[in-house]
Amino acid sequence: MLRLPILTVVMVLLAVVLYLRKGRQTLTIPAGKGCVVPNDWFAANPHPMTPADHVRPADQTFLTYPEWFLVHSPAEIADYAKNHTTTTFPYMSHVRQLWQSYGIVYDQIKATFPFNTGYHVMIWVIGVSTTVEYAMKALYETVVGRLTNPAHGCVVTDEDKFNAQFTQDYVDFIRELPWYEFDFTSRISRLFSETSLWGPHFIRKCERKYMLLTELVVKAGYGYLIKLGTKAAYDEALLTTAVVVDKAPATLPSKTKLLKTYPDESALLLLPRYEAFNPAASALAQHGVTFREIAGNNSALLLTVLSPENWHPDRPDFRVVFTQPVLTKPGLKRVALVTTVGRLNKTIRYVQEQHVTIEHVYDY
Amino acid sequence: MRLKDKLPLSYLLFTSRGRINRLTYWTVSAFIWSTFYVLHTLLNDFIGEGATYILYPLLLVSLVATATKRLHDINRSGYWLLIVLIPVLGALWLIYWLGFKKGDNRANRFGTIPNEAADYLKNDDGSLIPHLKTQERIINDVTHLNPVVVADVFRPTSTEELQEKVRTTTGPVSVGGGRFSMGGQTASPHSLHIDMRGLNQVIHFSKAERIIKVQTGIRWCDIQRFIDPHDLSIKIMQTYANFTVGGALSVNCHGRYMGHGPLILSVRSVEVLLADGSLVYASRTENPDLFFGTIGCYNGLGIIVTAELDLEENLAVRRVYKKLPYTDYSSFFIDTIRDNPEAVFHNGDMYPPAFTNMRAVTWVKTTEKPTVKTRLMPLRESYPLERYFMWAFTETMLGKWRREHVVDPLLYLTTPIHWRNYEAGYDVAELEPRSRTKRTYVLQEYFVPVRHFEVFARKMSEIFNRYNVNVINVSVRHALPDQGSYLAWAREEVFAFVVYYKQRTNDVAKNAVAIWTRELIDAVLSVEGAYYLPYQAHATAGQFHQAYPNARKLFALKKKLDPDFRFHNILWDTYYQPDNN
Ligand SMILES: Cc1cc2nc3c(=O)[nH]c(=O)nc-3n(C[C@H](O)[C@H](O)[C@H](O)COP(=O)(O)OP(=O)(O)OC[C@H]3O[C@@H](n4cnc5c(N)ncnc54)[C@H](O)[C@@H]3O)c2cc1C
Repeated sequence: MLRLPILTVVMVLLAVVLYLRKGRQTLTIPAGKGCVVPNDWFAANPHPMTPADHVRPADQTFLTYPEWFLVHSPAEIADYAKNHTTTTFPYMSHVRQLWQSYGIVYDQIKATFPFNTGYHVMIWVIGVSTTVEYAMKALYETVVGRLTNPAHGCVVTDEDKFNAQFTQDYVDFIRELPWYEFDFTSRISRLFSETSLWGPHFIRKCERKYMLLTELVVKAGYGYLIKLGTKAAYDEALLTTAVVVDKAPATLPSKTKLLKTYPDESALLLLPRYEAFNPAASALAQHGVTFREIAGNNSALLLTVLSPENWHPDRPDFRVVFTQPVLTKPGLKRVALVTTVGRLNKTIRYVQEQHVTIEHVYDY
Repeated sequence: MRLKDKLPLSYLLFTSRGRINRLTYWTVSAFIWSTFYVLHTLLNDFIGEGATYILYPLLLVSLVATATKRLHDINRSGYWLLIVLIPVLGALWLIYWLGFKKGDNRANRFGTIPNEAADYLKNDDGSLIPHLKTQERIINDVTHLNPVVVADVFRPTSTEELQEKVRTTTGPVSVGGGRFSMGGQTASPHSLHIDMRGLNQVIHFSKAERIIKVQTGIRWCDIQRFIDPHDLSIKIMQTYANFTVGGALSVNCHGRYMGHGPLILSVRSVEVLLADGSLVYASRTENPDLFFGTIGCYNGLGIIVTAELDLEENLAVRRVYKKLPYTDYSSFFIDTIRDNPEAVFHNGDMYPPAFTNMRAVTWVKTTEKPTVKTRLMPLRESYPLERYFMWAFTETMLGKWRREHVVDPLLYLTTPIHWRNYEAGYDVAELEPRSRTKRTYVLQEYFVPVRHFEVFARKMSEIFNRYNVNVINVSVRHALPDQGSYLAWAREEVFAFVVYYKQRTNDVAKNAVAIWTRELIDAVLSVEGAYYLPYQAHATAGQFHQAYPNARKLFALKKKLDPDFRFHNILWDTYYQPDNN
């Protein structure tokens, strides 16, 4: 037993080396070293027309990416869960994608903007919690889940179906509202009422009940704590994004409000924030509208699209920041593009012409 | 090596017996998981996903086995692992139990405290000679440098048994106690070897008079355990408590005590078994020749069977130290330590390889609360840190420099407070290397009259450096004189230079040691000092007699009391009747 400490050090080092070698290459591919955004795209807007309480910091378009990755990732899980049990989901690769892309978006802004401590702390908190959650799941699924997983990883038990439904509901929920508002508690009783006690794959059923119950209880508890903490540390978030356009179209897209029209025909609109911003903005772009300000900014703006692997766009209106393969859908990749508020309409139209889906527009 | 060190890793991973502490559990868990990850990845990448399934039985068994051992440590059976089936709470409980809850601080139904040795390090009972079915055994000492084939090993459990044996046999006899002497003092070829460790009873104890009478096979640690509840402490002994009273008496040992000297100063009387089988009482006033001819006299006249020893109060002592050049040491010592009634232990460590800087360490009486939890030294199964330092000091470049300037300053940042018994309770195990096959650690000691401290220090340093001796430490202690013993080493007030060094075990290395040892003996004789006899017998007869001028008187006495030369060991074989071999 004398050799234990030495062997432990050796094995841990070996494991770390293997881990670092593994996903190094292809999980997140930056378009270039450091900042790829043209310098003048960062020029600040000195006199925003947007009312002050609707103005948000310009660097937030980048900093919101890691947060949104934590929506994209569960969305991918939910999608995957429809046809496969989540036992084989590549959790650890998502952890890597999260931190790698965080590094890249931070590279874009670090020379131009002062360090936004509050935002980075928030990213660290959610990033670390997600890392822990995914790591635990990966470990559990490798050690236990894998042994009870049905052949080919098909969804055959009530419990795995329950999981698919729960994951989907959860994603739909967090597209609109903070995750900790989700009602995990009521799912606990549903876990038992919506699944049979006995049945084929009995061991799998028990094992999944154990695992889902653990997940729900832990998330309910953790969510409760985070809710208390967030209330104390951050202000209530605004649910709308103010946008200045050159000319308001005759018919406004749904959920969009006209606040004010200026003498030069330009107008101040109130669009829904977050998930619903993209459809509203896309609709405006289709109407030929040009954006002048979004949340008070006219500088760089980030958006992500989901495109075929062989799509390599090259246009003056935007730059590629990085790409990430969508691991559970071979052939599909996420491309992060940076444009400016003024070029957003052209970018949207180009992307749509190419039949590429806009995943999200990061509206600061 | 202790038992635990010999156990293979598989014992830890795949058996559920025994206990492990938190640190071991964390370490072994890191080992298991990282190994699993590495193997899983390799199998998956190179053979295919299916191949990884062979890892699961191993993983499961090792997780259960190690967790069970850890549960044992908090006095729960392995079945408590099933608590993990309770979602969330069960897992949380288990994580707390396994990873964070402190183990029982005493032995429980599953075993002793992990990492705590059951007993002080001991030498074996004499090893069998392979393929030979006789009574012959190999008797060796702690260095493993001196194997001797003896005719038989006898282990008495009562004085009568021992007396009977000596009376009814005729051949040569050798006597062993703890066998921590390092040069063949405990054995002689083809002798009857008497292992005294079975004679280990306390015969009489008086708290009021502060006196204890014991059979001499008893170890200091056994006496400490006996008297500690009475707040008493052994007056004079070595720093390590593994030694037997008989072995300590026969070499007339000393410790780091201030105001004391050789062990003989704390002995009231002894009972000695002579070669003819008679048992004789001896003290300074009754049979003084025998008293002075047995204590410090290496079993020349007879076997010491019992001894009556003085005890002292068991005080708390606090460590203080001072770093100084060796040229300032004796005046510092004489001015502030020698007559200081507060000083209980003292030693000065000289830093190799230059031996110019010293750290004078004194333990002074205090009424503060001790900083250690136990009154006696807790025993450990292994001493990985000590072993690492010993290796680093002796084998790495700048190891000795780092010790003086980095490691020791850190170790001396704290001010420990110990009990007197605690501070005299070290286990030789802390010095044990992993293996003594190729290299071994050996001690030597030189007694230098106080006034010649610097002269000798210079000569010693010169010799060590000229011969490139791998010295780990030279610890200087002080002893008041006692001229009584025939082989008294402190005929005047002396500093004892305790040299701890590392040597290779091949013949060339052994020869080299013999050569520089003789030079060092010459150096100490040139300042009217002496060298210590329980170590390797490299001295020439001339050197021996110069260091011990009364040896011839002792030889005459031996001729009278042991006319048939029954009591043998390397000293008598070398200096008393060399041709007899
Ligand atoms: C790590 C270490 C540290 C040490 N530190 C010190 C120290 O600080 N101060 C110091 O003075 N010494 C020190 N020594 C030396 C030690 O004191 C002697 O080696 C001592 O003899 C060891 O006791 P033992 O029981 O092992 O005796 P053994 O080695 O068994 O015997 C030593 C001698 O005593 C004889 N003997 C044993 N029992 C009896 C008996 N009952 N009657 C007659 N003769 C007997 C043996 O024949 C032998 O000649 C140290 C030794 C070691 C290994």
